[in-house]
Amino acid sequence: MSLVLQHVSKTYNPRSAHPVRAVRDLDLDVPDGDIIALLGSSGCGKTSTLRMVAGFEDVSEGTITLAGKRIDRLAPARRGVAMAFEGYALYPPLNVEENIGFGLAREGGLRRGTDTRKRVHEVADLLEIGPILDRRPAGLSGGQQQRASLARALARDADLHLLDEPMGQLEPQLRAVLRGRVKALIKARGLTAVLVTHDQTEANAMADRIAVMEGGVLQQYGPPGELRDRPVNLFVATFLGEPPMNALPATVQPGGLRLEDGEGVHLDVPPSALPPVGSKVVFGVRPHRITLGQGRLHATVTSNQWLGDQAHVAMELGDRLIVAVAHQRVAAAVGSRLDFDFREADAHVFDAESGRALLHGNQPA
Amino acid sequence: MSLTIRNLHVAFRRNLVLDDVSLDVAPGETLVLFGPSGVGKTVLLRAIAGVEPAARGQVLIDGRDVSALGPDRRDLGMAFQNFALYPHLAARENIASPLRARGVASAEIEARVGRVAELLRISHVLDHPPRALSNGQKQRTALARALVGQPRVLLLDDPLRNVDAKLRYEMRLELPRLLRAAEAATIYVTQDYREAMALGDRIAVLHRAAIAQCDIPEAVYDAPVSVNVARLFGDPPLNLLPCRPVAEAGGLRVEAAGLRLLLPAAREAAGRDCLLGLRPETITVSRAAGGGAGTVRPAGAGGAGVPVEIVAATPLHERMVLLLRAAGGVELLASVLGEPPQGVPVVLQADEQRALLFDAESGARIPHVARTLEVVA
Repeated sequence: MSLVLQHVSKTYNPRSAHPVRAVRDLDLDVPDGDIIALLGSSGCGKTSTLRMVAGFEDVSEGTITLAGKRIDRLAPARRGVAMAFEGYALYPPLNVEENIGFGLAREGGLRRGTDTRKRVHEVADLLEIGPILDRRPAGLSGGQQQRASLARALARDADLHLLDEPMGQLEPQLRAVLRGRVKALIKARGLTAVLVTHDQTEANAMADRIAVMEGGVLQQYGPPGELRDRPVNLFVATFLGEPPMNALPATVQPGGLRLEDGEGVHLDVPPSALPPVGSKVVFGVRPHRITLGQGRLHATVTSNQWLGDQAHVAMELGDRLIVAVAHQRVAAAVGSRLDFDFREADAHVFDAESGRALLHGNQPA
Repeated sequence: MSLTIRNLHVAFRRNLVLDDVSLDVAPGETLVLFGPSGVGKTVLLRAIAGVEPAARGQVLIDGRDVSALGPDRRDLGMAFQNFALYPHLAARENIASPLRARGVASAEIEARVGRVAELLRISHVLDHPPRALSNGQKQRTALARALVGQPRVLLLDDPLRNVDAKLRYEMRLELPRLLRAAEAATIYVTQDYREAMALGDRIAVLHRAAIAQCDIPEAVYDAPVSVNVARLFGDPPLNLLPCRPVAEAGGLRVEAAGLRLLLPAAREAAGRDCLLGLRPETITVSRAAGGGAGTVRPAGAGGAGVPVEIVAATPLHERMVLLLRAAGGVELLASVLGEPPQGVPVVLQADEQRALLFDAESGARIPHVARTLEVVA
């Protein structure tokens, strides 16, 4: 069901000399059937937001609406929210099967042949914990506990599923497969899910939309492609993407930019949205959008690293490094000169002081 | 300034942590010591440093046996994942500490600290105590301290572990230049396969107390000696499909997940239980033939396309990871460039040249006879 946060704030110790404003004036609209990710580093406000939606924290200001109904004053159990925690929170005396079926018990219990039992076993198989259903949580590895917790949340019919770092403990092969299976399950059942994570690869893999938070403030909320191609500020631009966006200081000139790279490389940029000549800006281009081997620009290769499925080439442009990613091996020795280029449409310009985006490609931000 | 380790054994009571490990690191070379946590990487570093009492074997620096020497007489530089800076000393004095211990003249110390600080871009924070430094600056300070004495051997124990992703990436680009300039024999420990491939001139993979493979990064990735080594590299990691190959003219016929591949592999594996290893980026997904325009037949793709269902698409950086389900419910991961075909029947194809075959019982890779990497002189 759709979830709407309006002007939500969370302030800890509001009356003390040092109140902590963990979440500030957050507006968030999660459409029915979407998977969204709250993404940010520790302390960004994502976990406080999750706890307010779940009901483990009061909202300091604002309202939370789920399926058209105000829930921010309701007890957690009455909100219609299923959760998988980072700390697992499995019931120690119950085995894995009973833990997963706990929220479903009133729908007929786990006796043989019931729909509840069938669903528990389906979710358990999907998460590859079928063989450990009769075990108690205490005897399980971190990854197994995490999957049991996730299974318990996914087995439930709820208006909203909150998943807090649900796969951080899993080994890589399993994680890659489970991301796909869980995403397919959520979509097939039409669930609405909020995923909380600090891992951008997890957010990108799973989410229809990503909300990037920093310092308690929502920076940008949109589909992954929009965040990649039209980041609202330098923080979002360099936070997302691996390797991160190249960001080079530059000065506005008539007809374009001059990079402050020691060589004074001039770049033609349509001046439509640029500040006055002489203004300081930051020029950005994503490593994947740089083409190597020919072009208007030249630089000295400082490293050329092949990672099995992609090459990362770093070049010294004046006293700055610029990184390019290619999907084939690049024949360029360290110390050699390499030509490179990028399309105008892939260039970004940011205000140097505020970090606000000014230009994406040929369009004003 | 080479480092040689001969027949190193470390056992804690009955637990054999390192079993007859031998390694050579050339001057100016970076050897990455790679493996999951708990495999003994740090123990090996401790043995080289001379602080592991349980170590048996020889450590030679520039051909000289230093096994009997204390750690301070081995001419080592070290940095660790927890930085291990002196909390009461400013960055400058932390960096200077190995030189002070050796009684180097003050003017000389100042000059060398200044140079290494510039190299690591921390000149502006030299007067700050560790608590006033960011994690990135702490880590650069620790590296500066390791480098300042121009040691013959550098031991770097996962130094980027505790810095954020952006800084880690920056250092991954910068370190090769720093390490080349240091001209030391460097051993670099990491659990991150990308870091290992980016920084290592060679990678030594530790598995079950021994070096399973020691080779250039491309060889470890493309021609792993065993299924255990293969699984440690790649994101997402490789698909492993049980199969039983049949000898045929031109190599081995392998059937798994509906694929029929003819691998140029050694024929003695015929009839044995094997695992077919397919790296996700060597699998292509395209419209099924007869699906109209847009049918793709990539060069090098082996066999006819196998009909599959795309269960889910999960983007990974600029790639798309596809969870595929073939007949019989077999799941595979493919990592493709661009958007996959939607709403039409699709088939997968696998690159025979890059397919790996492992003996299911021993885990050893069954070598291809025609792979360019393995042409025997």
